[in-house]
Amino acid sequence: MKKLTSILILAAMLLSVFSGCSNTGSVSSKAEAGAAAGESSSEKQQSSEAENTEPAKLTIIARGGSHVDVINAVKGKFEEENNCKIEVLGLESDELKQKIQLDAANQKGAYDLAMSDDPWMPEFADSKIFKDLSKMGYEGDSDFVEKCLDIGKVPYGTGDVYALPFAGNVQFFFYNKALLQQLKAEVPTDWASVLKIAKAAKASGKVGYVIRGQQGNPVVTDYLPILWAYGGDVFDKDWNVTVDSQAGKDSLNFYLELLKNGANYEKDDIVAAVKDGSAAMSLGWPSWYISSKGAAAAYAVIPGKKDSSSKEYPAAEIGNWMMGVTANSQNPELAMKLLIYLTSAEAQKAGADVGGVPTRTSVLTDPDLLKKYPYFKELLEGTKSSVVRPRTPKWSDVENAYGTELSNAVAGSKSVDQALADAKTAIEKIMK
Amino acid sequence: MRKRHRSILRGILIVLLLIWTLFPIYWMVSLSVRDQSELMGDKPFWPQSFSLSHFQELFEKSDFPRAVGNSLEVTLISTAAALLFGLMCAYVLARTRFHFRFRGPALVWSFLVRILPPIAFALPLYIMMNAADLLNTKIPVILAHILMNLPFVIWFMMVSFEGMPEEIEESARIDGASEGKIFWSIVLPVSAPGIAAVSILSFMTSWNEYLYGVIFVQRPQNFTIPISLSTFNSEQELTHWGALMAGGVVSMLPIVLFVIFTQRFLIQGLSGGAVKE
Amino acid sequence: MDPARAAAGGEIPALPRLLPDYLRLCMNSVSREGDPMKKNTERFFPYGMTLPALFILLCLSLFPILYLLFYSFTDFRLLGKTHPSFIGFQNYARILRDPYFLQSLRNTVLFTVLAVLSETILGLLMALLINGVRFGAKVLRILVLLPTLLPGVTAALTWQLMLSNNYGVINKMLAALGAAPVNWLMETRTAFYAILFIDIWQFSPFAFLLLYAALQTVPESQYEAAQMDGAGSLQQFFYVTLPNIRPALLLTAMLRTIDTFRLFDKVNILTKGGPANSTATITQYIYLNGIRSLKIGYGGAASILMTVFVLALSFLYLARTFHKRKPAGF
Repeated sequence: MKKLTSILILAAMLLSVFSGCSNTGSVSSKAEAGAAAGESSSEKQQSSEAENTEPAKLTIIARGGSHVDVINAVKGKFEEENNCKIEVLGLESDELKQKIQLDAANQKGAYDLAMSDDPWMPEFADSKIFKDLSKMGYEGDSDFVEKCLDIGKVPYGTGDVYALPFAGNVQFFFYNKALLQQLKAEVPTDWASVLKIAKAAKASGKVGYVIRGQQGNPVVTDYLPILWAYGGDVFDKDWNVTVDSQAGKDSLNFYLELLKNGANYEKDDIVAAVKDGSAAMSLGWPSWYISSKGAAAAYAVIPGKKDSSSKEYPAAEIGNWMMGVTANSQNPELAMKLLIYLTSAEAQKAGADVGGVPTRTSVLTDPDLLKKYPYFKELLEGTKSSVVRPRTPKWSDVENAYGTELSNAVAGSKSVDQALADAKTAIEKIMK
Repeated sequence: MRKRHRSILRGILIVLLLIWTLFPIYWMVSLSVRDQSELMGDKPFWPQSFSLSHFQELFEKSDFPRAVGNSLEVTLISTAAALLFGLMCAYVLARTRFHFRFRGPALVWSFLVRILPPIAFALPLYIMMNAADLLNTKIPVILAHILMNLPFVIWFMMVSFEGMPEEIEESARIDGASEGKIFWSIVLPVSAPGIAAVSILSFMTSWNEYLYGVIFVQRPQNFTIPISLSTFNSEQELTHWGALMAGGVVSMLPIVLFVIFTQRFLIQGLSGGAVKE
Repeated sequence: MDPARAAAGGEIPALPRLLPDYLRLCMNSVSREGDPMKKNTERFFPYGMTLPALFILLCLSLFPILYLLFYSFTDFRLLGKTHPSFIGFQNYARILRDPYFLQSLRNTVLFTVLAVLSETILGLLMALLINGVRFGAKVLRILVLLPTLLPGVTAALTWQLMLSNNYGVINKMLAALGAAPVNWLMETRTAFYAILFIDIWQFSPFAFLLLYAALQTVPESQYEAAQMDGAGSLQQFFYVTLPNIRPALLLTAMLRTIDTFRLFDKVNILTKGGPANSTATITQYIYLNGIRSLKIGYGGAASILMTVFVLALSFLYLARTFHKRKPAGF
């Protein structure tokens, strides 16, 4: 019996190691092989498809919530016309990214279309997660708002198209109209005026400006527009780190001034406070404030200059969700067709009613939709003059380090200069 | 006199305990039945409205009923397996008379497995399941849950068995019973409270487990409850409080039922008088 | 066909069929002569009983552990373009020098010690309290368990609502008492303790259940003997209850230590490690710096380090467990 046990235990160990190793060996060059293999097998598939009437299956991995609703609302027509079944897997942002990356290492992809948040595009392009759509014959479409389509091009703005913009999103400046009227203030077009209004609001017992100061991605996305309005940026055009430039220090000090005349809330509280007038102003994404039931607060384009006499910079932060064909998709031709359909004008128009945000000029200026969603006008305007977050594959790590130091500054545990200096050191270490 | 004081004190403490324990649960239940308009901004203490729309949304829009079914399947199978195998293993590890040769390594290895952070563990496990082509089934999650709960069952039941005096078993042996019979008919019933506790906690761990569930899921049909609920907490949209709270309430029901069923075994009636000293 | 292998090979449907045979095999180890002291029955029983568990454990865990260990000495990235190269202890050195890691280590250890102490003591008090109740114990037990039964995301978000700085119910109650509102989750002074409190709330019932079960096994006879000797209830606790449940108490503390050390979900949902990295935990560090971008080399090294720390924390307990057994020979 002891012998048998030992043998079985040995078997267990071998089984374990063997099953894992057989897959690991082929991991590193998988994406490249998958891209090549996918193209040759698709031709074989097309010829066999003509013979059998079994519906093809396409799997889309998407960010859960409204995006899944939009896809489900419009997929029916495509399923009918192309005899296929479309399955949508909706996951939260972090898990979505991880699963796309994990599956990209396989030879046979489990997903055909994948969504990508715009800051992930450089990282995904680097890891060859998406197929080159230009090489597959995609010719671009001038109806897409240019800045939206640019995100899907690798390198940014100039290269081949790897993903199409599925959902539009650009940060707005939100304010409580009644409160501003009460304070006899105009809608601010520069940040100095914002501070003035905030101080007035505080004096009258309300919260002036709400920052979203949670460590990590929240504080970075909340702070960047102000950094940009001051003329600063995370990197300069040679990829030197410039977070601690004069503009960086001034803008962060200003951010803390805003906090002094306001509060530090989490996203749901920000919307609730600005909506019911206990707070006056904040930055935010339209998807927070605006739904098919209307806008919870008044909105405007983000001020692009620090005071009325300084230079104006584009400061609206863009945050589109892209969608591309996975490099190891088993059905790339059909998947590309579906992608083009999902981002077509008719799909975006239908999707708008279930929470979708269009990325095409024609849809954003469509008179019927404008009646229902007047904010599309500002969305288009804002998108045209928007700024993307730095296009580096290491952005996740950079954002992480930057967010930690910004949180240190917001919490007061480090001085502004110290926090920015530490941020610079940390980011330089990451970019090396 | 002192006894009454003691009862009153006990009563007060219990009330305080219940308030501390149940207040957030009240909050969750109360929010789940309020109208959507009441969920934004200032939420009054007592509900001002009553609406089952969130439960409706949960069952009609999202695939929640299927997630409940999946959770039940995964949890029941993995808990049963972990309990069965863990109990058998723990008994042998607890009783030194078996002279089990691999005792030391077994203890150390199971402890090690318990300690490793699932976050890192999940990646190579994913690779293995991928190689075995199991990812489009629920089997990887079931196996992962068994892996998660097995060390817990083994260690706790081992300690539990060690606390039981060996005399009963020895006298049964002298009477001619086989080891297997001793285990099933004598040892297990006596250790019922421990088994009940461990089964409730294993069930709960598996039911609420998120990490392995999300790593291994490949198709929306295989979602379990925690994954289904996580999509309501989105970064770029407002949190769907109503659906989340309703989901929490619905998620609690099967476990509470399980607890009600199992907790009668938490009372010990058998060991107290079994050994006369 | 070996039933254990069938089970571990993922053939779940086969298991129910073969299980009765397997169990019968285990149980019918009475020798032909009817003498249960026969040697070969002794040998089969323990191995048969432990085999399924050990087989599953090994099968599922050996490869992952070796994988992580091996790659922790390389700079492997799952989607890296170049083949991983062997870099020795560089990963480990970099991690141990990283101030963020050291801060998260400090946070995690402090959190674990505080949480485990509180949860174990509170769990014990709850178990004692409910154990002595005559009416309604059944209902009480279920009610007290509810916090542990909630899904993690719901529990975390419910607390987020309650602790919110904007009309959160806790702040409202404070206001009713005349105190100023506190931004619980966004201030460095309070965020750590807020998460600690939520954890204690959520997992004391875990300790309660294990200790309650342990309380049931204390023999009545010992209490009676103590009472006859004139011992008051406090003395009964220290001289009868405590010694009997000590193994379970220690194990509960140990289990909570292991689990709390892995704190991640609550922090990730509620504070993301902030403010000012005051709630950053080790698992979060591993996730953000390694696993999220599939940097398996770095993440694996951090995981191994974390395992070593937990082993160090539990070393005393482990040593005790083995030391007690030694005389019985293994």
